[in-house]
Amino acid sequence: MRVFFFAQLKEATGCDAAELAVTSPVNAAQLWTELLHRFPALAAHRANVRLARNWEFATPDATFAAADEIALIPPVSGG
Amino acid sequence: MEIEIQLTDQTIAEPIPPPLHAGAAGAWMEFRGVVRGEEDGQPIRALEYEAYPEMAVREIRRILDTLAVQHRCLAVKVIHRTGRIPVGATAIYVGVAAAHRAEAIALLGGFMDRLKQDVPIWKRQALPGPNPGRNLASPSPSESRLLGRGESTSLQPAGGHRPALRSLDEALAEIRASCQPLPALRAPLADVWGRVLRETVCAPADWPPCDRSTRDGYAILAGDPAETFSVVDTLHAGDWKPRRLAPGEAVRVATGAALPGRGLRVVMQENVERHGDRIRLRRRETAANISFRGEDFRAGAPLLPAGTTLNAGALALLATAGKTAPLVSPRLRVVHFTTGNELVPPEQTPKPGQIHDANSILIRGLLQNYPCDLAQGHLPEDFELARSKIEDRKSEIESADVLLISGGASVGEHDFTRPLLQQLGFEIVFSQVNLRPGRPLILGVNGPRVAIGLPGNPLSHFVCFHCAVATALAGLTGGTGPAFLRGQLAAKLDDQPCPRETLWPAKLEWNPGGIPRLHPLAWANSGNVACLATANALVRVPPNQGSVEPFAEVDFLPLGAMLGR
Repeated sequence: MRVFFFAQLKEATGCDAAELAVTSPVNAAQLWTELLHRFPALAAHRANVRLARNWEFATPDATFAAADEIALIPPVSGG
Repeated sequence: MEIEIQLTDQTIAEPIPPPLHAGAAGAWMEFRGVVRGEEDGQPIRALEYEAYPEMAVREIRRILDTLAVQHRCLAVKVIHRTGRIPVGATAIYVGVAAAHRAEAIALLGGFMDRLKQDVPIWKRQALPGPNPGRNLASPSPSESRLLGRGESTSLQPAGGHRPALRSLDEALAEIRASCQPLPALRAPLADVWGRVLRETVCAPADWPPCDRSTRDGYAILAGDPAETFSVVDTLHAGDWKPRRLAPGEAVRVATGAALPGRGLRVVMQENVERHGDRIRLRRRETAANISFRGEDFRAGAPLLPAGTTLNAGALALLATAGKTAPLVSPRLRVVHFTTGNELVPPEQTPKPGQIHDANSILIRGLLQNYPCDLAQGHLPEDFELARSKIEDRKSEIESADVLLISGGASVGEHDFTRPLLQQLGFEIVFSQVNLRPGRPLILGVNGPRVAIGLPGNPLSHFVCFHCAVATALAGLTGGTGPAFLRGQLAAKLDDQPCPRETLWPAKLEWNPGGIPRLHPLAWANSGNVACLATANALVRVPPNQGSVEPFAEVDFLPLGAMLGR
């Protein structure tokens, strides 16, 4: 599972993307557990971060599979 | 509703054509969001925009589709720029076509609100990050697997990212955007040669201020038919004795003397026989021999536009107009460090493996055309030693407008210009330019101050100074930067195709037809110095060009003396 990081999350993780070893589908809570295990610095951002799955904001009940493209979206500031 | 969405790292064009089909539209409304000059009360130069492009485009479309139900518009075009966007440039463009303006305005307002909530685009101030030292560390490969997605930006940690390679034009544009004019000040004429005039100077009075004689001779009424005249007065240069001449009267005048009135002409003394107080004309002249009041320039006429580099002639003009304290660019403060353990001062005998430092005197010489206070030094090729040396001279460096570092700019293990500049609080704008010689060229900015890392070899210095440093100095002083001209090759430029754009040293001569002709000079690599003494132009060779035939038209950059200083 590929996970992309943007803006301040790149600094928190030290990279702009990572590969997570997820084989069976996980829900949002399980995904966060995995993410925080790999990148403890994300904990400070979790409250403000939205999850995106395959280029759309994920609904609260979404599940995330190994083939999905995941992105962590911190508060945006375009325009 | 027709929707067009673009994300681009290029400048957003102006103007943008309305949608072709929109014949039914009664309104074509355009909005440009531009980068403000301040953020959180602090002046800024640029913002850095980052996007998650695949999702941003989808999200913009989703928002527009939703809004279109409520606000019936005909077409929408959205262009969002990413990357470094300088102050004043457009970050987002939205064009809306609708039958009536109300729908267009409502859709635009709704769209911008939603964009700022949901579209994965982020901006941040393009200034040094909160902790510049962090960039020295690479993320551990075991911690995170980099997938190499997207381009690195100047704000990303250095480790694991390939620096983006800039074209010469892109690099020069970024230098121009990063180097804003420093505050102007008034200075006495004797101190301002080579500085840039920052106000337009207009003539305070007519010049010449009165009719003046251009000959030694006799002033008479312009239409006086007499053959003999009585000399009633004598005027030297500097005298001011107005009087009305009567027919048959003449006044002796010296070259440059103010004439006693108007409607006169001057007879050259060579055409006159003088006997006591009387003169007789030997020959009538047609010329009036007068420099008329205001014939050079009239009161109020613009004499020198703001942005003029003050050469000796311009100073003479300012002195003539009595402008003794013009508003000019400040004298620049430049600090230059050389690096490289192989360098010894020119007065020292190099040991095997060592060479004389030519860059210090080269930079000093090149800066002669730019009034500045230059401090130079050498940095040891060890990051910690260099850092402590820089610490010793920190106040000098922090008060410098321009910091130049020679060498240490490529990617070798001893190279440290980039982290050193970051240590000093500079944000790295670019560190690679697709230029030969001169690829490892670094631009750093820290507020109004700029740092340029120059590749170590003297020829690279020469080339990078004339394009990059000269552009930066022009920006900081408010002057005109280097500009390419068209010329003709006088001989074959013999080269192998090179993926990099080349600035090839050449000797410029004017042929009798007035066409600049360029003789390419021999050089094999950027360590060559023989051509430096002769080169007065740089010929621009596009990437992958290879040889250029004689008489081909080429772009070239005129240097030094050719610039008329």
